[in-house]
Amino acid sequence: MAGRRVLVTGVSSYLGSEIARSLAADPEIEHVIGLDERPPRERLREVEFVEADIRGGELGEMLPRAGVDTVIHNKIVRRPGPRLSARAAHEINVIGTLELLAACERAASVAAIVIRGSAGIYGAEPDAPQFFSEELARLYPLRTRFQRDVGEIENLFDAFARRNRDVICTMLRYQPAIGPSLNTQITQYLAPALVPTPLGFDPRIQLVHEYDAVGATLAAVHNPVRGAVNVAGPGTIGLSRLVRRAGRSALPVPAVLFDTATATARRFGGARVSPDLRRLLRYGRAVDLTRLTQEVGFRPRFSTPDAVEDWVRAKGGRRLVTAVGELLPGR
Amino acid sequence: MSGPTNKPGGEATATLLRPAVAFLRGLRGGLARGVSPFEALAGAGVALPGDARGALDAAISRLEGDYAEDEWGYDEGFADAVFPLLELMYERWWRVRAIGVPNVPAHGRALLVANHAGVLPWDATMIATAILREHPLPRATRFLVLRWAFEMPWLSIAVRRLGGVVASPYNAVRLLEEDELVAVFPEGARGIGKAWSERYRLQRFGRGGFVEIALRTGAPIVPVAVVGSEEIYPKIADVRPLARLIGAPYFPITPTFPALGPLGVIPLPSRWQIEFGEPIETASYGPDAADDRRLVLELSERVRSEIQDSLLRGVFERGSPFV
Repeated sequence: MAGRRVLVTGVSSYLGSEIARSLAADPEIEHVIGLDERPPRERLREVEFVEADIRGGELGEMLPRAGVDTVIHNKIVRRPGPRLSARAAHEINVIGTLELLAACERAASVAAIVIRGSAGIYGAEPDAPQFFSEELARLYPLRTRFQRDVGEIENLFDAFARRNRDVICTMLRYQPAIGPSLNTQITQYLAPALVPTPLGFDPRIQLVHEYDAVGATLAAVHNPVRGAVNVAGPGTIGLSRLVRRAGRSALPVPAVLFDTATATARRFGGARVSPDLRRLLRYGRAVDLTRLTQEVGFRPRFSTPDAVEDWVRAKGGRRLVTAVGELLPGR
Repeated sequence: MSGPTNKPGGEATATLLRPAVAFLRGLRGGLARGVSPFEALAGAGVALPGDARGALDAAISRLEGDYAEDEWGYDEGFADAVFPLLELMYERWWRVRAIGVPNVPAHGRALLVANHAGVLPWDATMIATAILREHPLPRATRFLVLRWAFEMPWLSIAVRRLGGVVASPYNAVRLLEEDELVAVFPEGARGIGKAWSERYRLQRFGRGGFVEIALRTGAPIVPVAVVGSEEIYPKIADVRPLARLIGAPYFPITPTFPALGPLGVIPLPSRWQIEFGEPIETASYGPDAADDRRLVLELSERVRSEIQDSLLRGVFERGSPFV
C-alpha cells in the first residue's frame, strides 16, 4: 500500500507528535495530517496541522476531501488532570470517538482505523488471570469512570467494525507508559522521595516504554489486524522493586488511610492517584502479548524492567543510597 | 579435629573479633574516602568471612531493588531466603516422610493434584520442599492458590514470591504450556475449611477442571496424598459473620486461634507423610478430549480415589498423629 494518507488525532500529546513524526519520515506514507485543539509544542515538519476539536464536525467533510485512508485515534485522555474534570474527560473520550467514527463511516476513503485504547478495561482484580488475553476484557464489572469510558469506546468501535466489514479496525490496549520524555500518572506517582504504597500488597505492574508505545502503533498501521491487541513491555515488575529502582522509599499505608496519604504526598509534589491507579497499586495487572508479537509482528524492544531502568537512567534522579549517605554526619 | 572450640578461650574470641574489627575499619576508611555508605559497606564486607559477605551483598542489592522476579512474580531470591525456614518446618516440626518423589517428572510440564487441608497453604510449601530436597533433579513448584489469599495483606506478597498464582484455569494452562510443574488442590475452599470430624475424607473435586487443564496441555497428572496437614489447625468451629466481615471464606476457631492471638497462627507439630503416586499420562487422549465430559469425570474420579486410598493407607502407616 504505497502512498498512504494518514490522520492522527491528539497529535499535540508527546506520543501523538512522535507517531506523526515517524509516519512523516516513512517513505510508504504520502501525507500525514495531525489534528488537535492546540498546536504541538514544536512544529512538526512535513505534517499538516489542523487546529480543530474532534467533536466539532469538521471531520466529516475533511476526511474525504483529504483522501485519508488510515485514521489513528490518539485523542483519549487517560486521567483527569488538574484542569480537566472527569466529566470533560468523558466528553473527549466517548463523544470524541463517537464523532470520529461517524465521520469515518461517511468517508469512503477510510480503509483502516487504529485506536490507542487502554488495558484499563481489564481492571485490576485480586483473582484475575495473571495474564489477560484479548478475549478476557469483560470478566469483571467496569468499576471506575475511566474503565466505563474505555468500555464505551470499545462498544462503539465494535459496532462500527461490525457495520463496516471493509474497514480494518484495530483496538490497541495499552498498559501505562513510562519513559524519559513522558509525564504520566505513574512517573508523577514516583516523583516524591516517599512513595505511599498499599500496606501488605506488592502487585505485579506492567508498563510499556515510550519507544515501544510509538512503535506498536506504527506496526499496527503497517500490518493492520482486526480486533483488540494488547500492548506492553514483556514481563512484570513488583511495585516495591519499581519504587526501589526509582530510587525512592516506599511508605506502606493501610488501605483506609491510602487516600489521605496520597493527598498529603500530592502537596509535596506527588501525583493525584486516580481510582484506576489505586486499584492497580493494590492488585496489579499484566497482559498476554501473543497477538502483538505474532499477528501484528511487533516485538517490544524494552521489557517492563528494562523500560523502568531506561527511565531511571535518563531521569538521573537521586538514588536512595546517596540520599541516605547525605544524612550521615560528617559529610 | 581442631575447631575454635578446642582453642583456649581468648584465642577463640580473637578469631571472632578479627573480621569484625577489620570490617569496621574498612567501613570507616570507605566513608572517609567519601564513597556512599552502601558502597562503603560493600567494600568493608571483603573483611568478613564468605557467608556473611554473601548475605551483606544480597541485602544491599535487595535494598536497591536489584533482584530478579519472573513475569509471574516468582522471586527466586526470596524463595531461597525462606527455604531454610521451610526446611526446618519440614525436618524438625513436621518430620515429613516423603514417598515416591521420583514419580514427579524431572523435566517438562506436570500437574500435581493433592488433597488440601489446614487453613493456610502450608501443604503446598511442604510439597515444594519435598521436591526440592528429595528429588534427584530438584525443581521449583508453582501452586494455584485461592483468590482470598491475594486479598490478604502480606499473605498476598509471600504467596506470589514463593511461586503461587491465583487458581484460575487461564493461569494453570499458561504455566503448563511454559513446561512448569504446577500443584493444584481441587478441593479448594471446601478442603481447607472442613471440620475436624471430616479429616482425611476428600471433598468433591469440583467439576474436574484440573483434568480438563491436563488434557488440554497434555500434562501428566501426579496424584499426591498429604497426611498430617489435617492436624495442624484442628478446626473446632467456624464463625461465619466474622468471616464475612474480613472477606475470608471462613473464620476458624482452633485450640490456639484466636485464643493465643497471632501465636495461634503457628501450626501444631503433627507428623507428616507425603506420597507421590504414579503419573497418569494424558497426552495420548489429545487436546480435544478436554471437551469429553465423560472422560473428564472418569479421570477425575480415578485421581480422587487414588488419593483417597493412599491417604487412608498413609494415616494407618503413620500411626500416632503427633509423636
